[in-house]
Amino acid sequence: MNILAEKFRDNIIAVVPITLIVIILNFTLVPLSTPFLIRFIIGSVFVIIGLSLFLVGVDLGITPLGSHTGSTLTKTNKLVIVLVAGLILGFFISIAEPGLLVFSNQVDFVTQGDISSVSILISVSIGLAIMIGLGFIRIIYNLPLYRILLVLYLIIFVLAFFTSPEFLAISFDASGATTGVLAVPFLLALSIGITKMKKDSKSSEKDSFGLVSIASTGAIIALMILGFFNRNLNFAAHIPENITESTEIIKPFTSIVTSVFNESFMSLLPLIIILFILQTVSFKLTKRAFIRILKGFIYALLGLFIFLVGVNAGFMEVGSKIGYTLALLDHKVYILLIAFLLGLFTIAAEPAVSVLTYQIEDITSGYVKKKAVLIPLSIGVGFAIMLSILKILVPSLQLWHLLLPGYIISLALMFMVPKLFVGIAFDAGGVATGPMTATFILAFTTGAANATPSANVLLDGFGMIALVALAPIITLQLLGFVFKIRSRKGGI
Amino acid sequence: MENISLLSNFEMLCIIVNYGIGSKVLKYAKEEGILGGTIILGKGTHKRPLLEFLELTETRKELVLMIAPRKIINPALDALYEKLKLAKPHHGIAFVIPVTQFLGAGKYEYEAKNEIGGHNMTEYKAIFTIVDKGSGEKVVDAATMAGAKGATIINARGSGIHETSKLFAMEIEPEKEIVLILAQKEIVKPIITSICEELDIDQPGNGIIFVQEVHQTYGIR
Repeated sequence: MNILAEKFRDNIIAVVPITLIVIILNFTLVPLSTPFLIRFIIGSVFVIIGLSLFLVGVDLGITPLGSHTGSTLTKTNKLVIVLVAGLILGFFISIAEPGLLVFSNQVDFVTQGDISSVSILISVSIGLAIMIGLGFIRIIYNLPLYRILLVLYLIIFVLAFFTSPEFLAISFDASGATTGVLAVPFLLALSIGITKMKKDSKSSEKDSFGLVSIASTGAIIALMILGFFNRNLNFAAHIPENITESTEIIKPFTSIVTSVFNESFMSLLPLIIILFILQTVSFKLTKRAFIRILKGFIYALLGLFIFLVGVNAGFMEVGSKIGYTLALLDHKVYILLIAFLLGLFTIAAEPAVSVLTYQIEDITSGYVKKKAVLIPLSIGVGFAIMLSILKILVPSLQLWHLLLPGYIISLALMFMVPKLFVGIAFDAGGVATGPMTATFILAFTTGAANATPSANVLLDGFGMIALVALAPIITLQLLGFVFKIRSRKGGI
Repeated sequence: MENISLLSNFEMLCIIVNYGIGSKVLKYAKEEGILGGTIILGKGTHKRPLLEFLELTETRKELVLMIAPRKIINPALDALYEKLKLAKPHHGIAFVIPVTQFLGAGKYEYEAKNEIGGHNMTEYKAIFTIVDKGSGEKVVDAATMAGAKGATIINARGSGIHETSKLFAMEIEPEKEIVLILAQKEIVKPIITSICEELDIDQPGNGIIFVQEVHQTYGIR
């Protein structure tokens, strides 16, 4: 079986459950119109095909590029070069991230222009760049991840005191927006490229993870500081509803083709530039290896494009419709339950999740298997979506009521679990908030908020991503705890 | 100990299967009486022009290494051959290599009395040490002190009789490191002694060492 067939099989297993849930809902609680349902099924097929091609592209192109880049930088043995490269890489990867662009336009709109989208784009990219530089230093000097995260989150806590509740949600969501679908695999491979040069295998393994998590805090801190200097903001009360109940089947797909293609190409562009620059300057890859990486990029571009078309045209409206209809039901148990199930099953279809689990298997030689990571990750995200719906239904429940205890638990757990899992868990937070969450699940929660009179559509939409980023940090650290206990040798 | 070594020769069973099957192989093997095994991740290719153009030829493989007395290996291999359907194409391959010396598995210790062959042998033997992740470096240090000129560390995972816990019905196989050392016949003994002392290999659960004959070597001075 070749790798494409293997990925197809994995992704069919990942996407079919969520499709089944929607179909079952269609015949029970949420009857969908026929074009809706057909579009959703076409969308699912697109997601499966796109995801498979994308993941092959990551294996062939993006991971080798990241890993080569990491090794090349380390081999220079000059701190300045590593640091400057980290800053440049971080800045350009972040500024080209389509998710961040969409996000900053949203914030621009929500704050009615008080915080312009350009200022967000620049400040988040600077924040990310600094943190990636810091992440590099941490790997090179063997600084323990948990201490760095502790300091960074303490800074975030302090800043949070000076941040309005509305802006708090926005800041935490920024972390999800920057760690996009291409940035995550590249960052993961980059840190692996650096750490594999280490002689000490134990520390090399645990340092392989954590760069994504450090990078995400950069975005949060940057936005909080931005919010600190722009207080007394006005917030728009409503976002324009642009959900058109189109009855056509093909048109929603074709109408977004150009914009989605541009989006996919834009996010790949910085990586292509990095490849060409480094190939001429220092890689000197053989022609075959170079062409292989290029072919990988073609797979990744094609896959991402097909995936995004499927999700945007097939999933979003259905998500919003389900959220809206379920929130109108008298029994709120239904929506909470469905929220949990949607979270539980969509996460397996998130592209970066497959990349992370693959990397974990590779680094640990199969000791920490995909299934072992996926189960707690799914449960965590399920709870996160359920809590976001609960927050919409209960107006007195605020985002920080959930975030504060959540992060205190996460930070406390760091001291108890094997350090490998600290990195994996905090990285998974950034990984879980990919395009699937940002479209399908976001549409679901906004749909629910629209049907709930007491809810603030806008802010409840923002907080969801923050919760999705938090939940896996807790559940995966708990997994680490179980592994620690279970791996002890018996009978000696 | 003597009894076992008189009764049987030790052999190493190697099975290469698609990724994800390795743990299953180890589970079946344990049911057949093999005490433990180590799994290495690898990449395999097969030749097909179209797939080669599309760069889809590489697949992840798992290489499972297990050492046991021959009288256990033979029936176990037959059983595995059935269960893994190795007769069908693309289901994997299996082969057996003789082992000249084996220690550390507590239950059995073994050294071949009469070395097979005799002619056509090089001056070298291959010493494999399998220890918990992180201890590979100690093995290399100990071997270097005893005169070894170099070593290669391979990442792997595996489980023996002391590691048999489960998580969601999955066997947990802790991470290991395999240290491969090629050494001249005369210094094999001191190297092994040094590693044994340094890592307490004699104590159960601390790792295993086995030695294999090498027929030809290149690149070693």
